[in-house]
Amino acid sequence: MATLTLDGITKSYGVVSVISKLDLAVEDGEFCVLVGPSGCGKSTLLRIIAGLEPITSGRILIDDAEVSRAEPADRGIAMVFQSYALYPHMNVDRNMGFGLEIARTAKAEIASRVGQAARKLRLDSFLQRKPRELSGGQRQRVAIGRAITRRPKLFLLDEPLSNLDAALRVGMRVEIARLKAELGATMIYVTHDQVEAMTLADRIVVMNGGRIEQIGTPLDLYESPANLFVAGFIGSPSMNLLPGLLERRPDGGAQVVLEGGPSFPIVVKEAHSTPVPVTVGIRPEHIRLATGGDINLRGEAAVVEMLGSDTFVYARCGEQMVVVRDKTAGRMHRGDPITLSWDEAKCHLFDEGGRRWILDREAEAPTQNATA
Amino acid sequence: MSQTLTASPAGRTLAEIRPHRGRRQGTVYLFLLPATAFFIGFVAYPILWVFDESLMRAGSDGVRHFVGLGNYLATLQDPIFWLVLRNMALWGLITIPVQMLIGGLIAWFIERHTQQWRGFFRTMFFLPVVTSVSVVSLVWAQIYAPYYGIAQNYLQVLGITMTDSALGNPATSIYALIVVNIWQWTGFSMLMYVAGIANLPSEVLDAARIDGARGMRLAGSVVVPMLAPVTKSLLLLGIIGTLQTFPIVQLMTGGGPSHSSEVFGTDIFRQSFVLGDTNTGATLSVIVLALAFGLTLAQIVFLGARLGGRRAAR
Amino acid sequence: MTTRIAGLEPANLTVHLGLGLVLLLWMVPEAYMVSIAMRAPETVFDPTLFTWPLTFDNFVTVIKDNPLPSFFLNSLIVTVATVILVLAVSSLFAFAVAVLRLPGTTVLYAVLLTTLMVPMASLVLPLAILLKTFGWVNRYVGLIFPYVALGAPFAVVILKAFMEDAPKELFEAARVDGCTPWQTFIHVTLPLVRPALVFVAIWQFIVTWNEFFLALIVMTENEMKTVTIVPMQYSGLYMANPGALFAILTIIALPLIGLYVLVQRAFVRGLLAGAVKG
Repeated sequence: MATLTLDGITKSYGVVSVISKLDLAVEDGEFCVLVGPSGCGKSTLLRIIAGLEPITSGRILIDDAEVSRAEPADRGIAMVFQSYALYPHMNVDRNMGFGLEIARTAKAEIASRVGQAARKLRLDSFLQRKPRELSGGQRQRVAIGRAITRRPKLFLLDEPLSNLDAALRVGMRVEIARLKAELGATMIYVTHDQVEAMTLADRIVVMNGGRIEQIGTPLDLYESPANLFVAGFIGSPSMNLLPGLLERRPDGGAQVVLEGGPSFPIVVKEAHSTPVPVTVGIRPEHIRLATGGDINLRGEAAVVEMLGSDTFVYARCGEQMVVVRDKTAGRMHRGDPITLSWDEAKCHLFDEGGRRWILDREAEAPTQNATA
Repeated sequence: MSQTLTASPAGRTLAEIRPHRGRRQGTVYLFLLPATAFFIGFVAYPILWVFDESLMRAGSDGVRHFVGLGNYLATLQDPIFWLVLRNMALWGLITIPVQMLIGGLIAWFIERHTQQWRGFFRTMFFLPVVTSVSVVSLVWAQIYAPYYGIAQNYLQVLGITMTDSALGNPATSIYALIVVNIWQWTGFSMLMYVAGIANLPSEVLDAARIDGARGMRLAGSVVVPMLAPVTKSLLLLGIIGTLQTFPIVQLMTGGGPSHSSEVFGTDIFRQSFVLGDTNTGATLSVIVLALAFGLTLAQIVFLGARLGGRRAAR
Repeated sequence: MTTRIAGLEPANLTVHLGLGLVLLLWMVPEAYMVSIAMRAPETVFDPTLFTWPLTFDNFVTVIKDNPLPSFFLNSLIVTVATVILVLAVSSLFAFAVAVLRLPGTTVLYAVLLTTLMVPMASLVLPLAILLKTFGWVNRYVGLIFPYVALGAPFAVVILKAFMEDAPKELFEAARVDGCTPWQTFIHVTLPLVRPALVFVAIWQFIVTWNEFFLALIVMTENEMKTVTIVPMQYSGLYMANPGALFAILTIIALPLIGLYVLVQRAFVRGLLAGAVKG
């Protein structure tokens, strides 16, 4: 168990900067998930923490000891790779114990640790097999077992579930959640799958273009995304983002006028006399297929997706496509005229630069979404 | 992946679609015809011919008589045959591992430690392979030459005195030729290992770094075992290559002095084309063939090597 | 930042120097060949790697006195014909085995593969007799056909592996599009395995160009000799004049070396793409 501190990490290949000035503090026993689109630098960051990629500048501290230039083996970490990276010529037993073997751990100790890990992962009966004789899920468990036997301060997991099929992935996700609870270890987990991120993480780090967009608990990110990128990235289907103008009303209050649609009052600290372009965000699950909310829109159903537990309606409202999640839409057909409505209290507002506009109703609540 | 391909139900092969307009399905077998014809004409038939010839002996009247294993018994009693066998064993036992070792080391350093110079080194070390073997032989003959060859001159600087030409001394001739073979073919081993190393899964090497495997430990426990498929093919190719050794020996010593560097190639050449004894030549050919088949099959059975298979240990 | 020389870290610099040193040693025979070819008669027997001054006289003499171009032409005809035939014959066969998967092909493939175990030494005698019967001694086909028969199996192995690694949906798509097997072969398969074809072509070229044993036996007339076997006769002719002999050796060795340097990138690419593994 350990803490991890990244202090001004920069990584560039020649003139191409992959990660710039990145700070992050991971607490003891925390399960920290790095998410972001492919190419955002999350895997590179993990490899930097592992010591597989040298950093251009900055410092890495594990348990307050600097390891910026240390060899991977000397950092007290273990890593689970996307391709599992098992040694093809070694059996499961030796694969899991190899790191200890290198570290000249006593044979009996290796055997006991491997045995423990194997029991924990239900691999007991496969110890003599070679990786190629195992199924994908079993290889995955061996890879995790190899990490466990090292008893690392820090577990690093690089998209460990992405090579599994959908059914296995759900099973392994539950398994990892169980291990996390059992081991209580500090874990850094890279994924592009937001369901994994939301279900596993204590805290999520959303990355984009080599920078951190937001750090927070899964609910923080869902309820108050710090910017348009996070708003669009977290949640499925994505948050509806509607362009509009924020302007002063004759009575001195403020209102938002949606492009080609209705206007609604909104309470903001200061409204400029000249209208300012803004983006209004509203999650599909906060829209009702009925009238009566603070905001009402008319449109027609363009696509109706029925998933059984849920129904998604893609409604065309003028120029905009708005996604609605509503269980009551079961009898809806393509082309049906519909009315959408939602409450002002569920709206997110973003300024022209894409940053969250802190509304008066939110101002009192402690903001947890300060970027690190 | 490939397994599933091979195992796909027979009903789903392309051949099943019958060509249109009444052409028979059998026409697709024409794809196989040319290669098969070449094989029958220039491999299978000659092999059958040598088998037949090795069981015959031409009498003084010019008529062939069936002599059973007579030619084989005669060959086995020929001391030159045992010299050839010894030389072939030496050749294989020395050239194959030495070429693997040097080629493998060079490949490792090229692949893991060079960037801009990688292509240069890969190409240069391979040049002896593409240098015509007759050129190689004559150049090395000059290198070994007494009085004006550079080997004697430069080895003296290192304190090694060559009393006479390495090629002219029956005790050393075969080793002198082996050195030439190693020089010419190490680049081939190097390139094969280059391909093997470049195709090692990088995440496994990363895992080894995290496990703390370095230097000899990394080589011995991770890299060498993972390159086993390449090593097995090199062994396979090396043995067949050994059995067909000919130009270097023929051009540099002709099998001499006093048969000390005789190999199967030169012996067959001498018996068949110099002495004109095709029955003995055929007998030797069959023995070479049997050795090649036997050693190859042994490797396939005991080492799991595959003739040209590329998916051996995946 | 550590001190860098020529853009290399110290540890890497050591590796480069080490490799460079081994390479220098490895290149001694090649350098020696060129060195002797460029010597004047006074220095030609000096037991040193390099001498001074250098001269091109030997090259001038041997080019003037010998029909070298005709030897090159012989080699070129034999080699190019062999390469083309090997590519044609082996890609057809590999297609039938890997894509069409005709019944019985697996057995035929296994039989064909045994060729890889057959050393040339055991075939020269029967081939010589066979070619004599056909009247193909001192004819180009006398070399080309045996070379094709011996080269095709290796090419089949490589091409088959590449074809099997290609997504089989592509062949199924061609079938759905109404391609006959022949059209699938020409329009889908061949373009797909191009790197393998290039690799096979280069390797077959090198092997054929340098083949010695059969060429020695089949091409006995001077006008038909290929470049690999001519040095033999010159080694007798120019016994007392190594400068001229080595000029000829250099002339013979350089074209193939140059060719390899030109195509090595494509060759190594084919190799790395998995042409030869385990």
